[in-house]
Amino acid sequence: MSEMWYTYWLACVEGITGDRKCELCRKNGSAEAVYYIEEKGIREQIITEKEWGILKESKKKRNWREAYQKAADRGIQMAVRGQKNYPKRLEELAGMPYALFFIGKMPQEGIPSVAVVGARRCSSYGEKMTLRFVERLAESGIQIISGMALGIDGMAHRAALNVGGKTFAVLGGGADVCYPAAHKGLYKDLIKRGGILSEQPPGTPPVAWHFPARNRLISGLADVVLVMEAKEKSGSLITADMALEQGRDIYALPGMVTEPLSCGCNRLIRQGAGILLNEEDLLEELVIKGLLKKKNAIISDTKNKIKLETKENLVYSKLGLYPRGLDDLQRETGLTPQEVMGICVSLQLKGYIQERSKNYYVRVK
Amino acid sequence: MGFYKVHSATILGLKVEFVQVEADAGNGLPMFHMVGYLSSEVKEAAERVRTAMRNAGYTMPAKKIVINLSPACVRKKGSVFDLPIAVAVLGAMGSFPEKAVEDILLAGELGLDGKLQPAEGILPIVLEAKRAGFRCCVIPKSNEDEGRLAQGIQIFGAETLEEVCRWLKGEYMLQMEKPDKEEAHGMEEWDIDYSDIQGQEAVKRATMVAVAGGHNLLYVGPPGSGKTMLAKRIPTILPPLDREESLEITGIYSTAGLLKRENPLIWQRPFREVHHTVTRAALIGGGRIPSPGEATLAHGGVLFLDELAEFPRGVLEVLRQPLEEKCIHLARQQGAYIFPADFMLVAATNPCPCGMAPGPQCTCTPGQIRNYQGKLSQPFLDRIDICMEAPKVEYEELTGKGTGMDSRGMREKVMLARMRQMERFQEEKLTKNAQMGQNEIEKYCRLGKEEERMMRQAYEVMNLTVRSYHKVLKVARTIADLEEKEEIDLATLREALGYRVMDKEYWG
Repeated sequence: MSEMWYTYWLACVEGITGDRKCELCRKNGSAEAVYYIEEKGIREQIITEKEWGILKESKKKRNWREAYQKAADRGIQMAVRGQKNYPKRLEELAGMPYALFFIGKMPQEGIPSVAVVGARRCSSYGEKMTLRFVERLAESGIQIISGMALGIDGMAHRAALNVGGKTFAVLGGGADVCYPAAHKGLYKDLIKRGGILSEQPPGTPPVAWHFPARNRLISGLADVVLVMEAKEKSGSLITADMALEQGRDIYALPGMVTEPLSCGCNRLIRQGAGILLNEEDLLEELVIKGLLKKKNAIISDTKNKIKLETKENLVYSKLGLYPRGLDDLQRETGLTPQEVMGICVSLQLKGYIQERSKNYYVRVK
Repeated sequence: MGFYKVHSATILGLKVEFVQVEADAGNGLPMFHMVGYLSSEVKEAAERVRTAMRNAGYTMPAKKIVINLSPACVRKKGSVFDLPIAVAVLGAMGSFPEKAVEDILLAGELGLDGKLQPAEGILPIVLEAKRAGFRCCVIPKSNEDEGRLAQGIQIFGAETLEEVCRWLKGEYMLQMEKPDKEEAHGMEEWDIDYSDIQGQEAVKRATMVAVAGGHNLLYVGPPGSGKTMLAKRIPTILPPLDREESLEITGIYSTAGLLKRENPLIWQRPFREVHHTVTRAALIGGGRIPSPGEATLAHGGVLFLDELAEFPRGVLEVLRQPLEEKCIHLARQQGAYIFPADFMLVAATNPCPCGMAPGPQCTCTPGQIRNYQGKLSQPFLDRIDICMEAPKVEYEELTGKGTGMDSRGMREKVMLARMRQMERFQEEKLTKNAQMGQNEIEKYCRLGKEEERMMRQAYEVMNLTVRSYHKVLKVARTIADLEEKEEIDLATLREALGYRVMDKEYWG
């Protein structure tokens, strides 16, 4: 593999599209040959003048043989288009990168994969639902693809890891750059139990304009895309658009129409996206689509039966997955303030609800 | 002709120091010389006194006049020395009988026309004079009401220097003062009341619990939820001031120059709102000879810190001593000053920079929220027992009729709870539940088996710390007192758990 560093170099060159890089390789035979294209290549119309300039500049930038060695030593691997480890799902699409860098593993072929995307600043409703759906999907052996961002993304990875499933993150920066830093623990777990993927050269800082491009990989790597929570204008909807172009199925989680975080999802449903009502439905549809084998789908009908006192039930019934304040609860139940607070505390102790902010409660069961 | 001595007093920090003003008119080059560790406003008294004397019809003899303010080691500050200096000089010229001022204390500033101007710190001086056994105090007319608050000492509110001189000469009998004014005590009236606040019953309840047990309080809530309104009304449910406390607070305000001229007695517990731009000196007092700060002005009342998260850490740190010891020690080169600072701390904060968390309208990022809450100083939060959310006021509540608890009912309950505490702590050195230490908690906050089990559960589920565990017990004790229960029961504990101050990482 002495010539891998030529490939590494070509993958790291910025300013030439992935498709064009592939074309150059095909015409010249290999990345090594591209490296040694001479200026006369311009006249022979093998390469344009601009491209030749870019390549020439990039060669000077650093010692690529060493850079490749260093990256390889740190466990960063490459999957090059046309080669065996490059995901088939991407191979079929246009506008995909020439090579992917990854740490850990690549998503497996032949196993259904589902992308889960959503707002970074999500509500606990979104979090809860993500947990519910993803756990069930992962239990059924489905690979979960997401972006390791705060909020829904992180929750999706965690949920998959919780039940011992496989999950992969596509980053906007280099695969060796953990972003956001708060997800350091998750990042390490992902390397152990799944993989971190990126088309950016190792060491690239995560900059805003990389993220939309990253989203096309998330949807590209998946068979189905779930949008859990999205505002009217958000990155998750960009992913949904990409998914449509790539011919992926989209499912969205419905929410209250007054809830900004659900607006994007509700709109998707109106435009014809699938609706996420419960895990069983989703799994059944995946089976019908032929993505999932029936025997793998874990469809259970056990429901938590809750035993509570009458007043506790009254307060509990007013709570949902969006945080509600003590004041609202008191008004709606007609109990005294100290009664409501006492009930909230005892529900909390019993593990039915959680205090999300001072005196704001959400259901957890 | 010769030597004459007059009594006066100065205020150092909040302490009254008696000063003797001595004057000597002797032969020598005519001059007017003052000694005795004087600050510049006292040095300037020379010019005021000379002019005022001339305008009052006295001529300054062509003598060498030396004024000494003793003890020489005490720094003389303030403008109350004009009158005693003038009287001492006139005395040295032989205008008055020798014994005329023996048991009289004089204080007052002079105008150039010989009129007496109002001065600061009159009440503490008069009180101290009464304690030291003076017969009479001569003070400016405009401070007369204030001086009379001391009761039990003759007060002469003089309008001009001439009046004082005529009286000392015996040409003018001091009218036997009108009987000490009946004070408006017990007739406490407020123009604010808790019934002004619509809804918000839960926060009002939490406020009442905090007041009943002397617990420090933190409101969390969006802008416009009435946190300041709630805090402002706390003095209306604190127990009324008794006369002694009232005089102490009036004394402090007199020194700070914050008294009203008419009806000077302060009968409302103070409410001091401090802005987050406050400096340390303004908060706890400062200066070479320190003057009291906001913490001392809030003595006996409420110190309110709005936007707690915006306060610089260093400023909050200085409040730790008064919160623990109920007083402030300020060490200066000339000695230490002790200011009283027994206040109830009330703080308010938004849950996040935009104030709307955890609601859907919140536009802050999780990082911003974390940062914002990270700014709250942990040692400071440790000193707050009760934390309560002040919710946004709904429209129906805004327009609804005043309902729920009013200040009168709340105060009655508070007073009852306070009495129960006093009875309980008869043999201890405490008066309020908030002051309990670990030993007292073990002694007075015994739990039954059921309660014990619930606390163990809470300890695990809610991630309590040892400190927050103790705080919950103290608050539970107060709630039990409010409900007139001997023992802490499950309902009480639940409520107390609801008031606990959440750990920072669990917010947002």
